[in-house]
Amino acid sequence: MIVANDAPVLDVSDLCVEFDTHGGVVQAVRGVSFSVRPGKTLAIVGESGCGKSVSVQSIMGLTPMPPGRITRGAARLDGVDIVRQKIVNGEDVRGNRIGMIFQDPMSALNPTMRVGDQIAETLQVHRGMSKRDAFARAVEVLALVNIPDADARARQFPFAFSGGMLQRAMIAMAIACEPAVLIADEPTTALDVTIQAQLLELLEGLQRKNGMAIVLITHDLGVVARVADDVAVMYAGEIVESGTVDDVFYRAAHPYTLGLKAAMPSRETSKSVGLMPIEGAPPDLFRPPAGCGYAERCPHAMLVCGPHRPQRVEVDPGHHAMCWLHHEDAPRGTDAVYRGGRA
Amino acid sequence: MLTYTLKRILQGIVTVWFIATATFVAMHAVPGDPLANQRATNEQIQRNLEQRYGLDRPVSEQYVVFLGGILRGDFGISFTQENRRVNDIIRENFPVSATLGILAVAFAALGGILFGALTALFRDRLPDLVIMFLVILAISVPSFVVAAFSQLALVDINVYLGFSLLPVAGWGTLRHMIVPSMVLGLGTMAYLTRLMRSSMLEITSSDFIRTARAKGLPPARIFLKHQLRNAVLPVVTVLGPAIAAITTGGFVVELVFAIPGLGRYFVEAVQQLDYTVIMGTTVFYGAFLVSMVIVVDLLYGWIDPRVRVE
Repeated sequence: MIVANDAPVLDVSDLCVEFDTHGGVVQAVRGVSFSVRPGKTLAIVGESGCGKSVSVQSIMGLTPMPPGRITRGAARLDGVDIVRQKIVNGEDVRGNRIGMIFQDPMSALNPTMRVGDQIAETLQVHRGMSKRDAFARAVEVLALVNIPDADARARQFPFAFSGGMLQRAMIAMAIACEPAVLIADEPTTALDVTIQAQLLELLEGLQRKNGMAIVLITHDLGVVARVADDVAVMYAGEIVESGTVDDVFYRAAHPYTLGLKAAMPSRETSKSVGLMPIEGAPPDLFRPPAGCGYAERCPHAMLVCGPHRPQRVEVDPGHHAMCWLHHEDAPRGTDAVYRGGRA
Repeated sequence: MLTYTLKRILQGIVTVWFIATATFVAMHAVPGDPLANQRATNEQIQRNLEQRYGLDRPVSEQYVVFLGGILRGDFGISFTQENRRVNDIIRENFPVSATLGILAVAFAALGGILFGALTALFRDRLPDLVIMFLVILAISVPSFVVAAFSQLALVDINVYLGFSLLPVAGWGTLRHMIVPSMVLGLGTMAYLTRLMRSSMLEITSSDFIRTARAKGLPPARIFLKHQLRNAVLPVVTVLGPAIAAITTGGFVVELVFAIPGLGRYFVEAVQQLDYTVIMGTTVFYGAFLVSMVIVVDLLYGWIDPRVRVE
C-alpha cells in the first residue's frame, strides 16, 4: 500500500470457495486475499475460469450454496466480516454498502419491471423511502449516470433501453444508496469499445464525486491500465501477483504476468511479429496442483515449483508475488524475471 | 394497445366465421337425414318438414341463411325438439357450463401456480417429490375416472360424517360446484404445475434474480416481485388452450355429476344429427373460446410489457 494510513474499506483475506459437481469437488478459489482503499480502484485480472468472478460473487452471497461452499476466509467491510452474515446493524450490506454491476446488462434487469422502479426498490428497502420519493430519487440517479430524459426513461421497461444505457441503469441501481464499495464484474465485456470508454469515464467520474472504492473484475489489460490504481492478477484460483498498476505493468514479478504482457498485441504485432500466446492450459481445479499452479506452463519453472507451494513474497513495498523465483534462496541471473522484471 | 386489441378482436371474428363455415360444411357432408326418425309418414309431410327447416333450398342458400342468422344472433329451431329455439337451449344451459368451466380454470390456474411455485421452492425435497408424483397421477388418469372415484369418496365421507358435507351430484348451490370443478380442472392443474415448476427453476438461476439478490432485497420481495411475475408468463400463455381443454372435458363431468349444462345437448344433437343445435352450440362455443383466448392475450400483454409495443 502506498499510503499507510489509508485503511482499506473492503479487506478480503484467505478466501477459499469450493463447488460440488458431478465430477467431484472443484476448488475454484484457493486462498485469495485482496483489499481496496476508499476512492481507489482495484482491478482483478485473469483468464476465464481463474475464479475472479466466483471470489466476489461468493462474498456477496450470490453463488448458489449448495453446491458452492466457502470453506475458509473472511471479507471485512469496515472491519466487519460479511462472508457468512450479510446483515450488519440490521441492514443488508448488499445494494446498500456494497453495490454490484454485472457483465450482461441485457439479462441483468427484470424484463417486466420499469427501470425506475428497479432502482427505486433499492432505496425503498435500504433507505425506507416511500415508493414515490424513491422513484423521484431514482430519476435523479438516472440523470446522474447521463441517461437523457431520465424522467421519461425511468417509466420505461428494460427492452426499450440500449445495451450501454442498460449498463448505466445498472450502475444507477448499484450507486443509488451511495455504497462504499462498487463491485463491477466485467461491466464492459458485453459492450462495444466506444460505449466501454464512456462507461469507464462515468465510473471514474462517480468515484471522484463520492469517493467510493471500486473492485473491477476484467480480463482486459487495456481497461486495467486505464482505470486501476491497484491490480491483482489471478491464476488458477490464487492471486499470483498484486501491487500498484505501475508495479504490475512495469515491474511485473510473476512469470504469468510477464506472459500476459507478452501476449498482448502491440503496435508492432503484424504478420511478421505474431501474437505470443502462453502455451498450455490452466490446471484442473478438481485436482489442484500441490505446488505452483503455473509451473507446468512456466518457462522459468524449477524443480521446487511442482511439489511445493510458493510463498507470497514482497518484492517491493506493497508489491507481492507468489513465485519461488523471489525466494531468498532463488538463483539470481540476468534474466528479467530473476530481477523481478526490473529492466 | 388499442390497435392491438382491435386487431385481436378482428382476428377473432374471422376465426369464428371459419368455425361456422367448417361446421356447416361438415354437417352437410355427414351422411344421414336429420328428419329420418321424425314422423314423416308420407311424401307431403316430409316435404313440409323440409320446407319448415329450409332444407329444400340449395346448400349455398342455406349457408347464407345460416350466416345471416348468426349475425342476428339467431341459431334457428331445433330439429328434434319441437319448437325449441337453439338460443333458448344455450341461454338456459350455457351459464351452468360456463360457471363450471370458469371455476375449473380458476382452480387449475391458482393450484398450478401455487403448487408449481411450491415444488420449485422445495426442489428435490419431500414436498416436491410428493406433489410431482400426484401431478403425474393427475395427468395420466382421465377425468371420468377421477369423477367416479371422487363421488365414491364423497359418499363414504358423507356416510361417515352422518350428514351431507358436499353433495355427490346435482347443481344449484356453491356446494354443488366445488367437487365437479375440481375434478374438471385437475388434469390442467397438474399440467400447469409442471409448467410453473420448470419456469420457476429457470427464473431462479436467471441473471436478474442475481441482480435482485445483489441489491440486498429481502427473499420474499424477490420471490413476489421478480420471480413470480416472470415465471407466470408461460403459464398464462397456455391458459387459452387450457380453457378449451377444460370446456370440452366438461361434457363428461357434466354427465357424471348430473349437471344440467350445455354438454349434454351438444352430444345428443350430434347423435341425432340435429343440424341447428350442432351448428348453434359449436359456433357459440367457438366464439366463447376465441373471446377467452383474446382475454388471455390481453392479460399477457398486461403482465409482459414486451408484448404491448407490437
